[in-house]
Amino acid sequence: MNKTILYSTIVGMLVFASCKKYEAFQDNPNNPTQADPSLLLPSIERTAFSTISADAALASRYLVYTQGASNTQYYGWQRSSMAYNNISQVIRMEQEAARTNKPNYRYIGKFLKSHFILNMTQTFGDIPYSQMMQSILNGNFSDSSAIRPAYDKQEDIYLGVLNDLKIAADSLDANGIAIGGDLIYNGNIEKWKRLINSYTLRILMSLSKKENNTALNIKSRFNEIISNPAKYPLMTSNADNGRLPYYDITGNQYPYFNNNSMKTDYYLDVSFITMLQDLKDPRLFVFGKPTPSSNGAVMDFDSYDGLSGSAPLAENTAKRGAGNASQINDRYAYTAINEPSLLFSYAELQFILAEAVVRGWISGDASTYYTNGIKASMEFSNYNNTYSEQLMNTYIASSEVALEAGREIEQIITQKYISMFMNTGWQPFYEQRRTGFPQFDVSGAGILNDGRIPKRWMYPNDEFVNNRVNVENAIKNQFPEGDDINGTMWIVQ
Amino acid sequence: MKRIALNCLFLLLACWSFAQDNPVTGTVRSAEGTPLAGVTILDKSTGKGTNTNAEGKFSIQVGSNAILEFSFIGYTKQLIPLNGRRELSVQLTLSDGTELGEVVVTTALGIKKQQKTLGYAVQEVSGETMAKTKAPTPLAALTGKVAGLNITNTTDLFRNPGISLRGRTPLIVIDGIPDPDADPYKINADDIESISVLKGPAAGALYGALGVNGAIMYTTKKGKKGKLTVEFNSSTMFQTSYTVVPEVQTVYGNGDQGRYAYSNGSGGGAEGGGWIWGPKLDQRDPSTPSGFYETTQYDSPIDPVTGQRIPTPWISRGKNNIKNFFRTGMLSTNSISASVGTEKGSFRIAANHMYQQGVVPNTGLNNSSFSIGGTYQLAPKLSMDAKLTYNREYSDNYPTVGYGPPNYLYNLILWIGPDIDIRDLENYWMPGREGLQQRNYNLSWYNNPHFIANELLNGYKRNNSFGQATFDYKITKDLSLKFRNGFNQYSSVADTREPYSYIAYSYISRGNFSSQQSNYFDINSDLILNYKHDFGNNFGINLTAGAANAYRRFESVYTSTDGLTIPEFYSLTNSINPLKGSSTLNERRTGSLYGMIDAEALGFLYLNLTGRYDKTSTLPIRNNGYFYPSAGLSAVLSDKLNLPEAISFLKLRTSWAKVNTGFIDANNPYAHLTTYQIGPKWNNVPSLVWPTTFISPDLVPATVESAEFGGVIGLLNNRINLDVTYFTNRDYNNFINVTQSQASGNTSVLKNANVFQRRGWEFVLSGYPVRGKNFKWETTFNFSKVHRWLKDATDNPDGYIGQIKEGQRMDRIYITEARTPDGQAIYNSNGMQAYTPFGQYFGDRDPDWIYGWQNNFSFKNWNLSFSVDGRIGGLIYSTTNQKMWWGGTAKGTVTPFRDDANAGNSTYVGPGVVVTSGNVEYDSYGNIISDTRKFAPNTTPVNYISFMQTTSGAMLNNYFYYSGTYLKMRELVLTYQLPAKIMKGVFTGASVSFIANNLFILAKIPNVDPDAERDELQTPSMRSMGVNFNIRF
Repeated sequence: MNKTILYSTIVGMLVFASCKKYEAFQDNPNNPTQADPSLLLPSIERTAFSTISADAALASRYLVYTQGASNTQYYGWQRSSMAYNNISQVIRMEQEAARTNKPNYRYIGKFLKSHFILNMTQTFGDIPYSQMMQSILNGNFSDSSAIRPAYDKQEDIYLGVLNDLKIAADSLDANGIAIGGDLIYNGNIEKWKRLINSYTLRILMSLSKKENNTALNIKSRFNEIISNPAKYPLMTSNADNGRLPYYDITGNQYPYFNNNSMKTDYYLDVSFITMLQDLKDPRLFVFGKPTPSSNGAVMDFDSYDGLSGSAPLAENTAKRGAGNASQINDRYAYTAINEPSLLFSYAELQFILAEAVVRGWISGDASTYYTNGIKASMEFSNYNNTYSEQLMNTYIASSEVALEAGREIEQIITQKYISMFMNTGWQPFYEQRRTGFPQFDVSGAGILNDGRIPKRWMYPNDEFVNNRVNVENAIKNQFPEGDDINGTMWIVQ
Repeated sequence: MKRIALNCLFLLLACWSFAQDNPVTGTVRSAEGTPLAGVTILDKSTGKGTNTNAEGKFSIQVGSNAILEFSFIGYTKQLIPLNGRRELSVQLTLSDGTELGEVVVTTALGIKKQQKTLGYAVQEVSGETMAKTKAPTPLAALTGKVAGLNITNTTDLFRNPGISLRGRTPLIVIDGIPDPDADPYKINADDIESISVLKGPAAGALYGALGVNGAIMYTTKKGKKGKLTVEFNSSTMFQTSYTVVPEVQTVYGNGDQGRYAYSNGSGGGAEGGGWIWGPKLDQRDPSTPSGFYETTQYDSPIDPVTGQRIPTPWISRGKNNIKNFFRTGMLSTNSISASVGTEKGSFRIAANHMYQQGVVPNTGLNNSSFSIGGTYQLAPKLSMDAKLTYNREYSDNYPTVGYGPPNYLYNLILWIGPDIDIRDLENYWMPGREGLQQRNYNLSWYNNPHFIANELLNGYKRNNSFGQATFDYKITKDLSLKFRNGFNQYSSVADTREPYSYIAYSYISRGNFSSQQSNYFDINSDLILNYKHDFGNNFGINLTAGAANAYRRFESVYTSTDGLTIPEFYSLTNSINPLKGSSTLNERRTGSLYGMIDAEALGFLYLNLTGRYDKTSTLPIRNNGYFYPSAGLSAVLSDKLNLPEAISFLKLRTSWAKVNTGFIDANNPYAHLTTYQIGPKWNNVPSLVWPTTFISPDLVPATVESAEFGGVIGLLNNRINLDVTYFTNRDYNNFINVTQSQASGNTSVLKNANVFQRRGWEFVLSGYPVRGKNFKWETTFNFSKVHRWLKDATDNPDGYIGQIKEGQRMDRIYITEARTPDGQAIYNSNGMQAYTPFGQYFGDRDPDWIYGWQNNFSFKNWNLSFSVDGRIGGLIYSTTNQKMWWGGTAKGTVTPFRDDANAGNSTYVGPGVVVTSGNVEYDSYGNIISDTRKFAPNTTPVNYISFMQTTSGAMLNNYFYYSGTYLKMRELVLTYQLPAKIMKGVFTGASVSFIANNLFILAKIPNVDPDAERDELQTPSMRSMGVNFNIRF
């Protein structure tokens, strides 16, 4: 029987011996640990350039929601969230770019990082900036200053971002190693430069209340770009738009494609419809849909009627039920590609230049910039060539549209507002916060927040748990009344 | 036994000198009449005792009125008063396992031990209990039967029941081989000999980290010595009626604000956005042809002249939609087994088939098993034991669960008005567009439930094989060597067929076919050396040393089309866009050395010590080896002390264990490695994403340190038995994603952190209220509780995890709906619910107690058994109820306010208050630090329908957190055993039983069955009744 033991032991030995060593399991066969930066860029771009948001449209009085009383629409806002994880991706891309010695990614990274930072500071006010990213940059997981970064003043953040954007614009090298995985410009560095410079002008214009701030020196920064087109090229047409196109591939389709709610619950705000009707703006025909009770003629301004973003829900649903409300145009829910999402458009650039002329920052013809902007916007929105070239020209030439002395800023911002329907994220809301144009209706009985338009969101819960002292200090430094949606941050003071 | 006998002899000798009693003599025999040698006879009042000799005879000097206790292992103890008799003839009957001192249970590694020697809690359930009435899985049949084991049963077809033992998921073990994948469907209930539940980490210490949460151990049948036995067992149950079914209103139909007119099915405009807040049904209207209010509906005829739909009467055609949709479910199990054995060995072969017909049309599940196993004495010193089981689960379609469009309940209970007759939707293709467009009353939001049942198909096929082979070599009388290999293997194919026009939240399908193919294999090898020796009379020892290796491999490939070029042609070759796919390979290995010492001393003290060293591939190399010990002590006081006569058994036990685990994520062996994640493709450009969780390179194993104290007392000759256990587990070095400010660049760090404590009580009260010759009533009642507290939030300077502070329970529920300190709803100026910037504590999720009560009555050839169980306390969030109130199908929404809203009037004032002045301040964790608010009753009238659409009426329904308290009549079996004379030697045994499951429930939560401890839109709970036949020959 000793043989049997022997055999069993041999079998046993075989079983144990045939196993892989423990070291052999220390590599994950499913996922890589190193990558070319071209594999990181697409995901970052997708996040940065996906700006389409129905919530932004509700808050900006373009749309009205009918499935329930929307706190976004009625201004009963609470908290928003931070998105530093996007910046982490940029840092990682920069690290991979340094490893593979492909510096162009790093400068595009600087732009994307700046964009993410600006989105957050516009949402909250002060946020961590100079101390951010220490964990991923230096692997620091122990120091309090690294894992609980201090908050920076908004002014300093803007200064930092402007400097970063300048470095990016100065350093991007069209003759350097090409970038891959670029969903926006397919590796065209020249176009990236145009975007970055044009975008810098948006930032400067958003600081129009700080015209005389000597640290920022807005006007001279603005002029530095304008006066140096060879070094600082700007967008020249819609072909330069910083945009993300959609594709008819599952997951790559227009964000509200086949979205049930977009099919049934979103109606145009009556104030927006009235604005377009008053201006006889044919873009109404591609933004909205004739009411069921109308004769259904798409090209007839009288076919359209809206709901009120400040009226109680029941009032709106009753008007809807009676067939007197225009839904958002079918293309937003029924077409897979519809139109691209915009981070920044040529039209916006033209409106910024027009405003800069009006404000006296630069010289030039405000009216030309203004009409260029309108034309570009109308061409961008002309879904299925709904309106003719002629109709566009007639519109632009009409007396209602033409710039009128003393009302220029209002008119420019109004046109910018129209051009940004469902395409440039929260930018129209922030423009309204800066200029007061157009006036958002808060007269209805459904409105919350004592009839005020909120100016910001409260800081996110996770910061109170993970970075309590710093967020509490930031609130104390900015908002004596506490963390409140009506607090005025530095940029709008 | 010898030692007890010797002790008794000493006592006897001590008494001898002053013995004045007369000798009593007699014989002890078994029920069959054979003399029993070695039976212990004890006079409990004096402590005198003796043993029977080889002929079963004894002699003892005791008083003429003494009461003698006769005890023998495996037999029921008997107390016989002498009443002056000098000669006795005693018959002992075989014990039915109720003799607490003699119960043998299966412990870790499949080693059988006497329960009295264990320092930790083990509860065994006999396979018999699940032979008659059939649950879909043997695991479900354990519900309510084991203290500390919480089984949460879903009402949905082919879904695993949840298992929680002392608050965590235990390991499943089959014949001593861990089954880490734990598929509850692969074990055939008729194959189970017994189930042993090892409750604490002390019990599982020898399975290593896998057993850290205790273990549920199945011992399967392997054949017995004796002549050929063939057993046929058949159960068929029908689900004919509802135990719990949602009750929907039948007064109002589809639409919004009391309006509805079908135009094109888009749901927009007068179609009311898919709500069930439409016009009142069955309203008389003399102006219409039908005499009822009429409007256009999805099935209204189209006027050939105008092309417009002609209004049809708006009546409650769909009052019985739920009942009209479901069919009778069925669970049928048939099994046959044959077993035969000789002195040399035995084997058993068994086949089993289970068919489950779902209550949803076109759903079902088949489950077949085939097993062969046995033992053989290969040589005088070498024996083997092996078992192999093959099992196949296959379903062509089983329903999708959860709240959403693929769930037929979503379309049937929540989003269909009673104006629609579900029977009319049986024709689910649009005429002329078969295969392309489903026919339904709404084409934007909802799917026709018949379309879902017949066209959206989830198929699943899985082949399981598992088994083990053990060789046992007796080197000497005391020393033996065991080598065991066991494996689990499966290969599975899960495929889904998604038809054209199927509506999901984010898309309308243009057809899809996907297939996931998986292969799994694990192997566990153990080499165990055992030494057993008795040193004299007072000390015995049992030493075990072993080495083990465990290896696991899982591979999976998923492929899906992106659209189908040809509708209804479900093949990967038919994709419109490039195929999408992913693949996974997971491997892990654990090697171990372990040892255990069982020592017994003085006939009543038992000590168990264990130690184990593991090395695992799932931790960084430098910390991947670790040791952990356990100790247990048991004292059977009734074997040593003279206790009052009423106490027939008394045992105290305690154990301590520390178990380390190196498995960060049971399903991801690479969870300690930071890698890129595969991002989505954009226009076919691939992407990667860097995780924002940093993984600490200094990870060490997580540890559970457990202490357990318990006792068993048997009273009145073990008629009443009580087993009490208290345990406290300290979980530290947990693998936690410790959050940090995301501005640092990482949202969290995976590290060892935080300390939690789990504490609980378990009680098992059992006994025989009646134990007569013909009539016997056996009953067991168990109840238990466990909760988990945060002891130390190691990485938060203020001692919080989220909003939970150190010292608080971890199952706290927070809600952001604003309420006054006394719980009234606070409203905004628009008459709608207000919200708070921080969630406020609302209640606790976990039940206070879980309990179960089993009863067995036998009278002659009849046997009745039933099992009742339930939970007390805890809050369950009910999605079904919330959506019913939101959507307009809840019965409670039938109010005059609803008619007012339909008429366009705002008359409803939400119950609660508004803030008139003052404010409330919170600290950063949401605790209220000052509150100067003054309240006045809410007086703002709002439209009732708008109110419900915005708030779901949550404040009227405790924010949809319902008490989880319930009592369920789980199962009932009435068996008639055919008398021998009827069987006339054809059969050796035959019985017929009436069987029933899920008979009724008393619960606080409406519309849903709280059994699953959660509700995400569940299948109605069904009552099953049927018959079982069992024949043996």
